[in-house]
Parts: sequence; C-alpha cells; structure tokens
Amino acid sequence: MILYDYILSPSCYKVRLLASLLDAPLELRAVDFHPGREHKGPELLALNPAGSIPILVDDDLVLRESAAMLTYVAARHGPDWLAVDDPIAVTQQQQWLAFSHRLTSALGGARLVEMLHFEGDLAALQANGIAALRELELALFARRLTGGVFLVGDTPSVSDIACFPYVALAPDGSVSLDSYPSIRIWMRAIRALPGFIEMPGIHRLHELAPDPFAEAST
Amino acid sequence: MAAESDARWVPVAISADIMDGTVIPARLPTGRIAVWRSVSGHIYANGDRCPHRGMRLSHGFVRGETLSCIYHGWRFGTDGACQKIPAHPAVAPPKTINCGALPVVEGNGVVWVATQRPSNEPSHIAGFEALRSLVITATPDAITHAFEGKTIVGATKVQLVGHDALLLMNILGPDEVFVIVLIETDLSVSDRLAVSAAVEGLRRAAETTEDAA
Amino acid sequence: MTAQAMRDAWYPVGLLSQLSFEGKDSLLLGQKITICGAETGAPRVESDGRNLPVVERFGHLWTTLGAPNKDLFTIPEADHPDRTRVDVGVVRVKCSPLRAVENFLDVAHFPFVHTDILGAESHPEVSEYKVEIRDDVDEVWATKVEFFQPQAAKSAGGGITTEYMYRVPAPTCSILYKTCPPRPDEWDVIALFVQPLTEDLCDVWPWMALFDDESAMTDLIHFQQLIFLQDRSILENQIPKRLPLDPAMETPTRADLTSIAYRRWLKRHNYTFGAQLVAE
Repeated sequence: MILYDYILSPSCYKVRLLASLLDAPLELRAVDFHPGREHKGPELLALNPAGSIPILVDDDLVLRESAAMLTYVAARHGPDWLAVDDPIAVTQQQQWLAFSHRLTSALGGARLVEMLHFEGDLAALQANGIAALRELELALFARRLTGGVFLVGDTPSVSDIACFPYVALAPDGSVSLDSYPSIRIWMRAIRALPGFIEMPGIHRLHELAPDPFAEAST
Repeated sequence: MAAESDARWVPVAISADIMDGTVIPARLPTGRIAVWRSVSGHIYANGDRCPHRGMRLSHGFVRGETLSCIYHGWRFGTDGACQKIPAHPAVAPPKTINCGALPVVEGNGVVWVATQRPSNEPSHIAGFEALRSLVITATPDAITHAFEGKTIVGATKVQLVGHDALLLMNILGPDEVFVIVLIETDLSVSDRLAVSAAVEGLRRAAETTEDAA
Repeated sequence: MTAQAMRDAWYPVGLLSQLSFEGKDSLLLGQKITICGAETGAPRVESDGRNLPVVERFGHLWTTLGAPNKDLFTIPEADHPDRTRVDVGVVRVKCSPLRAVENFLDVAHFPFVHTDILGAESHPEVSEYKVEIRDDVDEVWATKVEFFQPQAAKSAGGGITTEYMYRVPAPTCSILYKTCPPRPDEWDVIALFVQPLTEDLCDVWPWMALFDDESAMTDLIHFQQLIFLQDRSILENQIPKRLPLDPAMETPTRADLTSIAYRRWLKRHNYTFGAQLVAE
C-alpha cells in the first residue's frame, strides 16, 4: 500500500496511525502540500481529481477518502477493527465515519485558517466544531456509563481512528478541549494503544516510557 | 493578599473524570489550575503554570507521585516542590522552585480546590453523587432560569426528567459557567442517560436565551 | 506606540516564490500592510499609503516600518553553491514573536518535545556552553553547545552527538548552525525568521541551507515542519503570553544561558514588542 502523505495532515495521519496500530506495511510518498500545493498539481490531480490528500494506492485500487482507506486497511490487516458480523455495529461505524467528516470540515477548517493562512469563516467553523465536540462528548459519556471507552463495542475500531486526529488538534483552530472530560479519557485510551504513533501537535504519553530517574526498587 | 472570604472550596472536576496517573486542566475564579491524580490514586492540585518558562502543567504527565512539565520535563512532587530538572540531573533543584500546591479534597464524587484551606471540609450532600460536568455559555441566572432551578446554599435544586438533581456552579466568566450535575445515588444507567440528555436540552435553552437577550 | 527600535528592524513578510500579484494583506507590529508581487520589477509592501523599503534575501521578502541603521544581516555560509536552500513555508502561531525565537534557542526541551529525533529522555543533560553578546556586530551568540540526538537531520544515519551554534542577529530572527552529518567540517544552517503580527500572534518563516544531496526537497521541508509543529503546541500554551523580561517572573537554569542573554539583549535595545517588563 502506498500513501500519498503530508506529515502535518490529520487525515493522512489517520491512515498512518491505523497502519501502525495494525502493524500493516505502508509506504509513504511525501506530498509538498504546504507551501508547494503539490496536491493541486497535474500529477496528483490525475490520480485524485478532487485535489486532496491522502490518496491510498494498492495495486489497481485507488482510494480518495480517508474513511474508505481506514476501512480498507482494517479489512486487509485487522478485521476486528471493523464490525463485520454485527449489523448494528456496522451501522454505528458508518455513522461515526460520516460524523468524522464534520470534524474534518469544522475543526480541520479552523486549523487551516489559523495555522496555514487558508481562507474561511473562522467563527462559523469554530461554532460547528464545538457543536460536534459536544455531541461526541455526550456519546462517549454514554459509553462510559456502560463501562466502555471506545466509540463502538469494547475494543477500538476505525470509528475511533477516524475521529481522533481532528479532535486532538482542535486547539490549533482555537477550539479548546478543556471542557470535555469523556473526550479526554477516550483520547488517552487511544494514545495508550500498543503501536500508537504521534503526529506534530499530538504528543506521546511520556509516562509509558521507563523513568530514566527511577530509584532502584527496594 | 487573599481575603478570608477566598478560603472556600470550589468544585472544579468530577473525581471519576480523573484517572490514576493523569492530569487535567481546571479553573478557579483566581485562574487556571492543574488537577492530577497520582499513580496511587491520591488527588493533587497546583497552579497551571511551570515556574521555568510558563508552560501549562496540565499538558504534562504523571509518573508515580510526581507531575512533570512536558516542555523540559521539570518534575514536581505532591507539595509542589521541584524534585528534578532533567537538564541538570545531578543537581538538587533549589527549594524555592515550586509550582504552588493548593488545598484539594474529594467528596460526593466531586474534586474541590481552594486557594486557602477553609476551616471546614465541603458539606457532604447525603444521597447524591456527581454525574457529569459541562461548561454552559450563559450567565448563572440564565442557567437557573432555563433549568427552572431553585437556589439553595451552595447549589441549585432542579428536576431532570422527574429526578431530583443538584447543580454546582463554578463561575468562570461573565457568561461562562462550569456546572457539575449531581444525581441521586441509586439511579439506573438508563435514568442517568435520560438525565444527561435532558441536561443537553436545557443547556441549549440557557444558551439560546443568552443570544436572544 | 511600539518602541522605535523595534520599528527600525527588518522583518520577513513573504516567500519570494509565492507573492500574490493581487496583493495579500497582513500585519506587522500591529500595523496593516499589503504585500504585492510584481510581474516585472520589484515586489512592493505598502502601509498607510506609502511604499516601505524592501529587501529580497534568503528566499523571502523583507520589509521595515522604520529606518534601519544597518542592512539586513547576512549568512555567508548559506551562499555555498553546493547547499540545498529550503523554503519551509509559513506557519502562524498564537504566541509572542519573542517566545517563538526563544524556544528556537533552547536545547533542554529536545528529549520531551522532539523525542527520539532531536533528543532522548535517557540523555537529557545539557552540558556547559558559551554565550556572549558580540558587541562588534551586536548579536547574541551561543557556541560549543552539544547534545546527543537519535536523529539529528534527514541526512543522519543514526544517533550522534550534535554540536550547535546559535545566533540572534535581529530581535525576531534566529539562526542555528548544527553538525552536518555528510560534511563534518561544515555546518547545516537552519533559520527561523519571525514576522510579528501582534504582541501575541506571529507568522514564522523557517528557512534552511543544508548539505544534503540525498533527500528529496519535500522530505527536507517535512522534517523541519515536523520539528516546528512540535514546538508550536508548546508555544501556544505558555503563560504569560508576552515574554517576561523581569528576571523575577520565570526561573532559568544554567541550561538557559542563551535565553537569558537574549532577554537581556532585548531589554537593552528596547526590543519590547511581545514582551512584558514587569509582573502583571
């Protein structure tokens, strides 16, 4: 699998993250999104007329939507991350993958405006982002009431990976995460997964690494 | 200098929202704080600012009974004193380096912090426990009105889908209030969900009233 | 009114390769400016009805609101023809322009912010280094800075002890010179040119001049963007927003000698846009 990738793109990170969590081999091709706008150049437009990244290529298959990429990577390397046998869970995954696009537009849009000089109605993007975060908080709170921490079922799924990056980077667009305790707990559960990798702005959990100053145990 | 009236407990978080070995940001009327639970489960609070270069400690990480700043890894103990400066690992940090430990207690499932330790613990409210916290972008009066609440000492009594509930309010700004919802301890999961959904609706009402005003 | 000393300095306002012919609005020290590329002739920067002085250097367009008493600094090493010059691309940061520069001068954060790349928790010690304010050129310099790095540059094969030099030639610009893995007698040059928009908002224009024949340009850009974006999440969360110049407000250690010198130099010159002088 080849991922046309930008190190600072949360959507590209979704695919990189899932591939790492599933130990799936992924070849990265760096795209000069900023400042070069290479994704709008002729070579990449030929591959993806939408002019966006990520793009995932596997032999003859070309995928242009990150939700589809997550589904594909899970289907090939970690089917537990898709709910294939339970029709209700399958539907819930669909709902969360669709919801994740609202996070991309709103929180991702605000981030591009505030960070990389993109045009956009910042106040509207932030308001939509806050509305989406509140819905996510309510859903995760409801999951916690029945002992769950992930969005669908008892284990992490593509739904979690689809939603995580733009939520974690909400502060880049001046949307604070301070008032969402259930979201915070969920983000931490994802960051604690074996094979978790960072992206700039989303730190690893240092406490999971051995303490270099640990006293010898008595 | 803090006045005697500043010696009061402020509800800043729900205990169940702070897992062992984690730190969260919270607010007092006097400013931002970091509230953290050590690996052994004890709760602590201090100013949300590392004395080194002002980085928010709520972005840091907990190891054992210490809180470390994510910028340069300065490590603070439960008394707020700096125990380790990684850039100078062999040197004991001067005792004056301190991130400002604050009095903190837990009760009714709520984390209470004060700037000066009050003479009494926060009153225990028999039969109630914390359900959820949320921030409402409205004035306390607009919230009380939307929730049809009755103000009693230290809380607002409300009815949510037929259940008695209490709102604890921590005023963050002219129209920003941190609210903790307390519900009766024996509520079922489905009742808790119903209360939570009702709270969302009433929040919307409180915030819409604000816009209309 | 912004201290005149700060108005009289040069600031980056655009990438020469990407100037807009229609004009792009921005801010400089709180004042509105418009930057225009030109099909023929020189680019222009307008503010308040007048054309500001401009200089084209290091792939960027530079301007000033005042009357500088010296030319924009040079980086002679960067002119070597075998070097790859990299326009990294602008990133906006909600922080004081002075905080952005100061973070760039610091190595003690490498193990925590750039973990497994520029530093490791197992090697956090910052050994003694030399700092001076060179009065002849009026610049802050730090030399003999050493740090163990798991992946010092795109061109590095494995972990190495990197040597650094830091240079502050202007209030919101900093240049670092670091061990160049393919050519141990030379320095790789990495610069941060910061455009102060307001006292708590800046546009950061990183730029590099490296010896690296192997890596693709995009990979070089991404490596530096990765490092800078890791710093950005720190910069946007420092309190107070404005850089405290009162020594009582923050607690430096011996690892912070460069930042101490930088703050002293800023105060001496009245470069205070983005700074606070007393505890508030």
